Amino acid sequence: MNKRNHQDTSGGAGYGGIRKSDFQSMSCGKAKIWEEEQDAGGGGGGGVDELLAVLGYKVKCSEMTDVADKLEQLEIVMGAAPNLLRDTVHYNPSDLSGWLQSMLSELNNSPNTFHDRMLQSHHIDDPLRVPAESSSVNTNSQQQQFETTQSSRIYNDDSEYDLRAIPGSAAYPQTQDRERNQKRVKTSGGSNSAPPLLPSSSPIVGVAAAGTVSEPTRSIVLVDSHETGVQLVHTLMACAEAVQQDNLKLADALVKHVELLAASQAGAMGKVATYFAEALARRIYKIYPQDCLDASYSDILQMHFYETCPYLKFAHFTANQAILEAFATASKVHVIDFGLKQGMQWPALIQALALRPGGPPVFRLTGIGPPQADNTDALQQVGWKLAQLAEAIGVEFQFRGFVATSLADIDPPMVDIRPDEVVAVNSVFELHPMLARPGAIDKVLSSIKSMKPKIFTIVEQEANHNGPVFVERFTEALHYYSSLFDSLEGSGLVPPTQDLLMSEVYLGEQICNVVASDGADRVERHETLSQWRVRMGTAGFEPVHLGSNAFKQASMLLALFAGGDGYRVEENNGCLMLGWHTRPLIATSAWQLIVSDSP
Amino acid sequence: MAGSNEVNRNESKMVVPLNTWVLISNFKLAYNLLRRPDGTFNRHLAEFLDRKVPANATSVDGVFSFDVFINRSTSLLSRIYRPAHGEEPQINIADLEKPMTAEVVPVIIFFHGGSFAHSSANSTIYDTLCRRLVGICKAVVVSVNYRRAPENRYPCAYDDGWAALNWVNSRTWLQSKDSKVHIYLAGDSSGGNIVHHVALQAVESNIEVLGNILLNPMFGGEERTESEKRFDGKYFVTIRDRDWYWRAFLPEGEDRDHPACNPFGPKGKILEGIKFPKSLVVVAGLDLIQDWQLAYVKGLEKAGQKVKLLYLEKATIGFYLLPNNNHFYTVMDEISAFVDSNC
Repeated sequence: MNKRNHQDTSGGAGYGGIRKSDFQSMSCGKAKIWEEEQDAGGGGGGGVDELLAVLGYKVKCSEMTDVADKLEQLEIVMGAAPNLLRDTVHYNPSDLSGWLQSMLSELNNSPNTFHDRMLQSHHIDDPLRVPAESSSVNTNSQQQQFETTQSSRIYNDDSEYDLRAIPGSAAYPQTQDRERNQKRVKTSGGSNSAPPLLPSSSPIVGVAAAGTVSEPTRSIVLVDSHETGVQLVHTLMACAEAVQQDNLKLADALVKHVELLAASQAGAMGKVATYFAEALARRIYKIYPQDCLDASYSDILQMHFYETCPYLKFAHFTANQAILEAFATASKVHVIDFGLKQGMQWPALIQALALRPGGPPVFRLTGIGPPQADNTDALQQVGWKLAQLAEAIGVEFQFRGFVATSLADIDPPMVDIRPDEVVAVNSVFELHPMLARPGAIDKVLSSIKSMKPKIFTIVEQEANHNGPVFVERFTEALHYYSSLFDSLEGSGLVPPTQDLLMSEVYLGEQICNVVASDGADRVERHETLSQWRVRMGTAGFEPVHLGSNAFKQASMLLALFAGGDGYRVEENNGCLMLGWHTRPLIATSAWQLIVSDSP
Repeated sequence: MAGSNEVNRNESKMVVPLNTWVLISNFKLAYNLLRRPDGTFNRHLAEFLDRKVPANATSVDGVFSFDVFINRSTSLLSRIYRPAHGEEPQINIADLEKPMTAEVVPVIIFFHGGSFAHSSANSTIYDTLCRRLVGICKAVVVSVNYRRAPENRYPCAYDDGWAALNWVNSRTWLQSKDSKVHIYLAGDSSGGNIVHHVALQAVESNIEVLGNILLNPMFGGEERTESEKRFDGKYFVTIRDRDWYWRAFLPEGEDRDHPACNPFGPKGKILEGIKFPKSLVVVAGLDLIQDWQLAYVKGLEKAGQKVKLLYLEKATIGFYLLPNNNHFYTVMDEISAFVDSNC
């Protein structure tokens, strides 16, 4: 592939004779052919520069010159007044054109501020002069002073705040920013004639490394070889193979061997192996786990998981960020939570709403949950606690609980959406079980659409545990849960606390389901963000991007976590992922209904 | 206001393809947002903006990768890239560290660039580059995720490089048939600088390094050289930003004649008489620090060390990030020959 490009270069060793356009066609050549074949409707320039795409940047060939122009414009500004963009919130850096345009818009929309800052930094006559270190806009404290004297449109994301409550002011964009936000989402490109860079039905679902869209990415972080227990892994894999080939006698022997090895393997690997071995054993002996765990028991397990590691906190935090931005100026808001459980996500949101400049909205929460074995009304209990909190901090609050065995049973009219309220639908790990029954996910997405939410937040495991081939599923899960268990180990709790042990049980239940169950019983059908993007696009949703402010706050939250050294937040085409070192483990994305361009 | 700035922009646009210009200008803009005048760095925004890619144990274009801990206690990770040998695309997790089959396997320890402050082993630009190196050198590539400035100053990056070298040297599965690990060191920009210093330490500790590959290596000094003055601000890079990065990396209070920055300067080490690895040094003719890079080459020559200089007259920084120019192919061919010849 490389050599082919090489030959395209118009010969000669020298560089000077080659025109710009030759190289442009080199990288965009393939894209042009693709464009013709695609029959891209409505607007030109469907081809994306392949070489930049490989590196993580989506730039349409037809926009390349425009993007270059934007870069030049920004360079002029940066040279003249370097601090102008210091507090900007950034979104979706892969979309270069959109990213650049949003910065330009920010600058262009406030000529007075720009002018004032230029005067302040004494740079009007000589943009090349190096700003002195003592210049008034350089230090943070002076910058803050400077900000407050202007009616600042660029909200300051350097503010100090109590991370336990979601910061109020930092979460609320000024009105113009919100509009710009919406514009940013609608047409990611700078030029209005071209269709959005990421149309919902586009097959470009995210920038993958070259050639990987068809094959799943298998991301692995290994500990030092001595600890992995290579033999342990070998045996587990061999056992999975045997199971797949229905060679149960061999599988039985192997699983016993795994259990032996796992018992003498210290650390996360030993624990993971034990759970996987147990799950394999169930599959071999056909002792399938009981149909769902008792709901209250699984809630308790999740609570322990919540306390031990930051995954759920990250999920709640990032989803709440998106919801707060969507609710920015609404006076009546309604959140529909697809899995209320203990309601851990909502106190922070209620607090943030209470802190909202201009006062809190009326807040309705509809919590959905499964039936309880002992017929207690768990939902109402949670609702009641939240109501007490809301009252204590002055937020008008209404709660409604809904018992449903499956989200697919929910009928939108039941949820009672009122015409004057802004709706958010929230799903933390509740969508993937819908993949266990045919048609369920489509029904759920369709119901959500009819609720007309302003925003739909989704958090899901970042893994493909739903492939049709058992051994592949097994392997994926082994990598995934190895990283997860490793991160629990990293919390350094010695001796292990009750929370830690129960967290392992919580994850163990998932492992069991992925490995030992099938059909409608296998509910832990995790799929990757890329896969969910396709599904959401087809269903008529488009992304709402999470930005650098949410990223930063999430990162700072993680740093507070004991053993937090290995947790990493990553930005991926407008979504945020939390991972353990280089392995992404959960992904938060936000969605809205595709708005047609016609007025 | 336009004045000389406009001329500069037009100049840099004339020497690289448009998409390269866009890529490097994008980095330049982003990096400007990250460096603060007081010497601090907006790390959160840096991580947000950096495009990253996970490792992939499924082979793509004949290469698969996985991440390992070199040192658990410092969270030092490396990404290992291996050639797939016509096996199933999905490499079995148990086979990731299986011994190589070839007679001789070069192992290239790679240090990514970023002026000591930017990028990571899992940055997409470097993941892509490392995958190429596997292909052209038929090598295993170990890309080290070293600690960065300004949070971690000298000598952290070198310490991490040294830890990686020791780790690689002690992996039996990385050995060639002669039971030795055939190690090369490679890096661009700050990575090139790290190559030199790690190689020095290797010599002092009797670990054999077969060759050093320095791509646009980052060196400097107190003096303002001719090339710095001539090219300041012309091809994406300014003296000011170079100064910032050295201030962020070097110990507080040290100047650019510190041996980390200026290995053949007044405080440098004497290399005469020691068995330093042969070096391939690639210098871009439009890089403002080329005088320092050329001085480095001269320093090696004067010390009687084997060095090949590849001077690419019309190349700018970052030319090796996209396979859309002659320099790219020239360099890849040279690297391939360099790694091949000695084995």
